[in-house]
Amino acid sequence: MNEPTMIKVESRPEETSSTPREWIRKNLFSNIPNTILTIVFGAFTIYAIRGVLGFVLSGERRWEAVATNMRLLMAQGYPANQFVRVWFTLGCLMALTGLSLAAWKASGRLPATKISIWIMNTGAGLALFAVLAPISAASKLGWVIAAAIFLLIGLGIWFGLRGENKRPTGSMPTVWFSFGFLAILVLSLWTVPYGHYAFVEGELIAETGRTVAMSTKLPFTVMWLILVGSYLFGVRIREYIPSGRTKAVLVGLWFLSPFILNWIVLRDPDFDYAHIASTDIPLALLFIIGGGVALYILSKPSLGEVGRILAIGLLFFAVFNWIGAFFGWYSMLQKVRISFVLLALAALIAPNFASDRKTRLRFVAGWSALIAISHWLITAVNSPSTLELQGPTYLGGFSLTLFVAVLTLLLSFPLGVLLALGRTSTMPIARVLCTGYIESIRGVPLITILFFFSNILPLFLPEGMEIAELAAIVTGYTLFSAAYLAENVRGGLQSVMREQYEASDAIGLTTSQRTGFIVLPQALRVSIPPLVGQAIGVFKETSLVAIIGAYDILRIANSVVPAQTEFLGVKREGLLLVSVIYFIVAFSMSKYSRRLEERVGLGER
Amino acid sequence: MSTEKIQGTRSDMIVCENVDKWFGDFQALKGITATIAEKEVVVVLGPSGSGKSTWIRCINRLEAHQKGTIIVDGVELTNDLRNIEKIRSEVGMVFQQFNLFPHITVLDNVTLAPKWVRKLPRAAAEERAKELLEMVGIPEQAAKYPGQLSGGQQQRVAIARALAMEPRIMLFDEPTSALDPEMIKEVLDVMRDLALGGMTMMVVTHEMGFAREVADRIFFLESGEIVEVGTPEHFFTNPTEDRTKLFLSQIL
Amino acid sequence: MSETSSPSYHHQKPPFYRDATVVKWLFQLGALALVIFALWFLSSQARDNLAARDISTGFDFLSIDPGINLSEGIDTRPATGGRALWVGMVNTIRLATAGILFATILGLFVGLARLSKNLVVNKLGSVFVETLRNIPLLVQILLYGAILANLGDLQFDSGWDNWVIWSNKGLSVPRVFIADGFYQWVVFMIIGAIAARWAYNRRSRLRDETGQDAYPGFASLGVLGAFAVIGWFIHPIFGWVGNIFGGIEDGISKIPEEALQAVLSILAVVLAVNWIRGFLKSRRTPGGSAHLTDDDKFRIFFAGIGAGLAILVVYVVWPGLSSWIINSSSDLFGVLEDKFGNGRTGGPFGVDRPEVVKPGKFEKYGPSGLTMSLGFAAVFFGVVLYTAAFIAEIVRGGILAVPKGQIEAANSLGMKRSAALRTVILPQALRVIMPPLGNQYLNLTKNTSLAIAVGFSDLVQVGQTVGNQTGKNLSVFAIWMLFYLACSLTISVAVNFFNVRLKIVER
Repeated sequence: MNEPTMIKVESRPEETSSTPREWIRKNLFSNIPNTILTIVFGAFTIYAIRGVLGFVLSGERRWEAVATNMRLLMAQGYPANQFVRVWFTLGCLMALTGLSLAAWKASGRLPATKISIWIMNTGAGLALFAVLAPISAASKLGWVIAAAIFLLIGLGIWFGLRGENKRPTGSMPTVWFSFGFLAILVLSLWTVPYGHYAFVEGELIAETGRTVAMSTKLPFTVMWLILVGSYLFGVRIREYIPSGRTKAVLVGLWFLSPFILNWIVLRDPDFDYAHIASTDIPLALLFIIGGGVALYILSKPSLGEVGRILAIGLLFFAVFNWIGAFFGWYSMLQKVRISFVLLALAALIAPNFASDRKTRLRFVAGWSALIAISHWLITAVNSPSTLELQGPTYLGGFSLTLFVAVLTLLLSFPLGVLLALGRTSTMPIARVLCTGYIESIRGVPLITILFFFSNILPLFLPEGMEIAELAAIVTGYTLFSAAYLAENVRGGLQSVMREQYEASDAIGLTTSQRTGFIVLPQALRVSIPPLVGQAIGVFKETSLVAIIGAYDILRIANSVVPAQTEFLGVKREGLLLVSVIYFIVAFSMSKYSRRLEERVGLGER
Repeated sequence: MSTEKIQGTRSDMIVCENVDKWFGDFQALKGITATIAEKEVVVVLGPSGSGKSTWIRCINRLEAHQKGTIIVDGVELTNDLRNIEKIRSEVGMVFQQFNLFPHITVLDNVTLAPKWVRKLPRAAAEERAKELLEMVGIPEQAAKYPGQLSGGQQQRVAIARALAMEPRIMLFDEPTSALDPEMIKEVLDVMRDLALGGMTMMVVTHEMGFAREVADRIFFLESGEIVEVGTPEHFFTNPTEDRTKLFLSQIL
Repeated sequence: MSETSSPSYHHQKPPFYRDATVVKWLFQLGALALVIFALWFLSSQARDNLAARDISTGFDFLSIDPGINLSEGIDTRPATGGRALWVGMVNTIRLATAGILFATILGLFVGLARLSKNLVVNKLGSVFVETLRNIPLLVQILLYGAILANLGDLQFDSGWDNWVIWSNKGLSVPRVFIADGFYQWVVFMIIGAIAARWAYNRRSRLRDETGQDAYPGFASLGVLGAFAVIGWFIHPIFGWVGNIFGGIEDGISKIPEEALQAVLSILAVVLAVNWIRGFLKSRRTPGGSAHLTDDDKFRIFFAGIGAGLAILVVYVVWPGLSSWIINSSSDLFGVLEDKFGNGRTGGPFGVDRPEVVKPGKFEKYGPSGLTMSLGFAAVFFGVVLYTAAFIAEIVRGGILAVPKGQIEAANSLGMKRSAALRTVILPQALRVIMPPLGNQYLNLTKNTSLAIAVGFSDLVQVGQTVGNQTGKNLSVFAIWMLFYLACSLTISVAVNFFNVRLKIVER
């Protein structure tokens, strides 16, 4: 019960520095109605906690159904012999997290007062548990002892570090507190007898009274080590590398990581090296060199409108390639078509780089990197996977949930920003189109959109073109979430003062420069809190994929596990676990967003 | 086609001919006709709502006029994108509320346009920006954010930002109206230096001292019309129009 | 005025690719063309694909037997596709209405609890909000469904003494129903409302004049209550109201169809012309040059198109529209004549307690109580609890948004706590609360579509079944869109109505 909201209230009496007795009096028994409220709702609370604990700890609950199927719930049918790929993925994310914490100088400190209160709250929670839980007297004693230990530690910190104003002094970095907390969790895997449950060749193995399997505790320990190690490493390199550069690289890696980790590490594409050498590499080089030369010329300062006309011509050509392919007039490799679109977009922004040689060369270098990365990704995505799968996709369970959420957010963000810009623009047709799109999407439930994309979309596709179920789902989610995102961004855009537009016009910025340098940065800063809220929404709504037939964690808990002969009809346990997992992620995100909101509010002054 | 052909004498920086402008039913400018020469400093006076700001904003096309002709440095203000681009980089503007970009540092505020519009290399732009900040007297504030500066300092940064584009004309829209009295002087000093340096300036202000001392000519506007034009001496000592006399009696 | 005689310049027209207006419009037309092309391309693909699969689009399935059974609703074995979808809509509306009502009440209480100074109440509120809004609704619905499914079997002694019965077949509670005399009693209540308003005004005037507290709110409530009670017994005296409706019915049915058609089209044209004239007037400048922005032209264009479309609908698309209007409105008044007519002597309301019956081998709920099936109950609890958590935060935020100074000011004026709450805090808080509250109602309505996960026959579930059965998924999708857009419109109109009222209060 050490919910952080509780702390806020309890640490408040600072101002009055009242004794606990006065404090209780003031908050619980100040007058007769208050006392009645306390008694009635206190009794209700105790009754409710007893009810929940009774439900959870009842002998009829079959928690081993969840424990046994943990891997299924998390990663569905990912081949066991390839599981190291999953751990590698998680390790990469841990390393990125550690490095980012170091690079962004996560410098918050937790005061000892807070830590001591948290520990004491945990102790109190354990004591409450010991009193209320329907367990044997012997195990009650064990819990009471645990509670006493926590309370003693908390009191020890409180009185050991007590300073002048009767409260503990000193603090510790939040990062290290979190690492310590995670360390305790990892340590418990090695020491606490959670029990070992698994299906081994279809047979249910259930060994109570021992710790979890080595294939669980070892990787988690390694993950912890990677996290802490990369943080320490990040702190060290902070002295040698300018922080701006580290941050830029990390942001780039974060953006690329879902694509690389998912399509290359997890999917394990079966590269056809002969084809790569004969076609893919020459093609990439062709675009790097040809496109580079073209862009170098297009960013020539003296070019003027000719450059813009050429760029628009290029865009028409790039779009026409798709039309031609749809009608079967002529065709080229998908990769070539995409590259032409990228080239046209780069050509459109080229005038912004029309400056000295150095700037233009840097622009060309950026182009080369874009082509190299996109070509590599396209090749990887188009190569068949080598995995031997039991299910329809290599992703499933909670990892599918995460994948859909992350990809949706990444893709819908730019689309949402574009829609918001369109809706607030001065161009009537663009505004009507964007408003119509946003409002009609927002008017219908998500599930109907998902049905549309999984049932009806295939009808719209030209012959011979198919869309994978997962791609259809992500497309639907993206288009849906972009409409909501656009509304959040629009709020931010409206908060940017008219004068900012005028000032940008007066110093001669073009519309795109004004939007990119002045308007959007200010608008997005204001809309960060609602955007995080939107991200939480997207994460929660990924549960809907269960309805349209994807095997996410909810579907597995709701219909796969209860169908196993060993655990026939065991549904509530799995669903409770799913609730807890969603709750932990969504709750911590919303806490974070509230902190952000406070910080943004401070920035405004 | 060349824009050179339509320009008047080279020394005419701003030419307005019969400029009309409406906001809905309200006519803000009524047949404004005026010529401002190179290196001339012009102060526009008038009661609030007389169309002073609208006029000055039409000159760099923050507002589009609906009738008549405006020619700035030989370029006519029309819907031609190239002309609009050209005017914007030739004409600097300073606003009443400073309108600095709050999310970037002072230095970035000043270098943004030179880098992206004039396409100066970053080093050159920063060097120039530092010179300008030196000139307006706040070189030490370059790394701060606008919100951390006082009003007078912000307005001086705004002047530096406008000057960074190397404009041939500077427009000032009530640059001191939003400032506390003790900060007005520091801004006016910078403007005075600028005028002495030979900049063509058009200033909407209520600072009579500044007008009397620095202006070459004073325009008096009321209800969207130019009522009286003259040198400061003529204007303050011997105005011809009754409306001017009334205005002067109210504010002096 | 000018001192120097400036040379007269002639205007130069820039080439089109540099003209700001032309470029802007070309860009937009290009984008529009692209969108239209994409839509055309997709729809032609869809047509080809559908033809290849031997599926026809269209709405003929609405009148064909879909051959499906629905789990519950006003008709569990609908004879046509349209009827099936109608059952789904009614179920959705039922669920949404009940959900909105209960979520509002619960959310209000939890929101107030979050503001309570009592620690226990406050914490309970926090836990409620934080837990429920951070667990996805679908997970909650499935969890509640699973928990309900594990309740005991239905027996004669299930539940509390035939007031509330619960079992794995669902829940049953007492049903309040509209009885025979309801409509005549409503007439009484309308008169009562007018009287109450009069009493309110009178008492307020009294207060204003004498300065004493005249309790106008209580007075008006008392008047209304008196009318309700008296009307309960003597409502049959209003039987003659039915005759009025009968007269109207006769009058309407005599209107010729062509006349209504002509009136409707003239109305459309007059409205459009009137609007355009007013619009042009508002844009006219004294200089004579009515300077229309492209935006304005667009609006005028659409007004014209709107009128044209209306006429097209009246005469071509749906020629039966006018006769439909005539018939349905005369039907409506026919029904009203019947409902308000003489000879209805019962009370306005009745209550039936739930019961358990055993027609065959198994016990089931009898028809008397208000029975919630398992699916309904799961979705109902899901949307109510989930939405209540959000509403609680809105209520709390709204009350906290009232500046502290306002409360202090009210206190310093010597107002009583209740009076301050009623006259100072609530109006201001409501102004903040209403818009997001309307949004939550919309979300709740849309969220009822998750009923498909527990097999409750809402519109989406029925539509999905019908679509799969007939292959008309596309048409079903169009109906979904229309229905939910209609719901959104209804709710936002209602919320706007309240908002306008609040703004008046503010003045």
